[in-house]
Amino acid sequence: MSADLEFENLVKLYYRDLYRFGFSLTGSEADAADLTQETFYIWASKGHQLNNPANVKGWLFTTLHREFLKMCRRQKQFADESIEETAHNLPDVPADCLNRIDSRTLLRMLREIDEDFRAPLVLYYIEDFSYKQIADVLAIPLGTVQSRIARAKIQLLRRLSETNAPRAK
Amino acid sequence: MNTREAKEVLLLYRGPVDDADPQFREALTHAQRDPELAEWLQEQTRCYGAIRAKLRGVEPPIDLPQKIIRTRPILFRRNWNEILKLAAAIIVSASITALGFKLSERKSHPIAQGQEILVRGEVLDMTCYIAYNLSGQEHASCARDCIRSGLPVGIKAENGKVYLLTGKAGKPVNAELADYAAKVVTIKGKESIRDGFAQLQVEEIRKF
Repeated sequence: MSADLEFENLVKLYYRDLYRFGFSLTGSEADAADLTQETFYIWASKGHQLNNPANVKGWLFTTLHREFLKMCRRQKQFADESIEETAHNLPDVPADCLNRIDSRTLLRMLREIDEDFRAPLVLYYIEDFSYKQIADVLAIPLGTVQSRIARAKIQLLRRLSETNAPRAK
Repeated sequence: MNTREAKEVLLLYRGPVDDADPQFREALTHAQRDPELAEWLQEQTRCYGAIRAKLRGVEPPIDLPQKIIRTRPILFRRNWNEILKLAAAIIVSASITALGFKLSERKSHPIAQGQEILVRGEVLDMTCYIAYNLSGQEHASCARDCIRSGLPVGIKAENGKVYLLTGKAGKPVNAELADYAAKVVTIKGKESIRDGFAQLQVEEIRKF
């Protein structure tokens, strides 16, 4: 297979997943498209250095995440809000609440979660990565990944349940 | 494991994708015995599925893949065997030319002595320039290394004419020119042509 065709197939295979990851991290269509484009650009320049072809997907997600962190450093748009340390009870999120909110509202809620917690949570939801793979993509220990996902998930579910709470008159 | 501990473990459970993960095994077994926990787990996995579906419902712009493919950088992968062969060919060619030049000098041939001219232009690493049309600032570092290592050096005049640069009596001028790689200089020297191949015997180098 020619290098061009190989590259095109790779783009077709992963651009959607990468875009969704980028969009969930940034909340911006333009930034997500830029991150996806930049990721494949880097692949075209350096991808041949990857020894194990089975790691392509992880490599692409790692690269997009690194580029996102660079973008954050440039834009200084980190959210200051931190995740609460513990949560004993998971909030109930009624089915109709999830049906009522659209993807954009969900993405807005995700963006309210600190980036360190958001990235593992997004990978947890949108990809079928194992926890070990998520840890590899984000270059953090497995235990940290799991605790961040758990805490971020509780946080997200709380926000979702709040949208269902009756509004004060 | 009690129900509370099982819940803490199963908080991360996504469904079939995590079935092979041993960390969930005991908690899942517990859920099979505890109807309340089983119901809670069912609700959690349903909630996971709903959020996942919403996030995966995000569609990228329709023209994104074309944009990615269009802007793909084309990598230049060097074939060092080819470069070395070409360098050898250029060196042999330059040596023959220099030898011819020397022989012609002995015969006081007017063409061999050449006219003294001034050429202003970019210093080239001839190997990469001829083989791959590489020149300019982007290639400066490679050009400097190639010239320093003894590969043929040339100059591209502002009118586009390229000269192979030689020293007096066919001696190389690489050491003098390596630091000027990809830079614009003015060189005073004697022009000669052999088999249509222009050469300049360097007498003086002036940085532009």
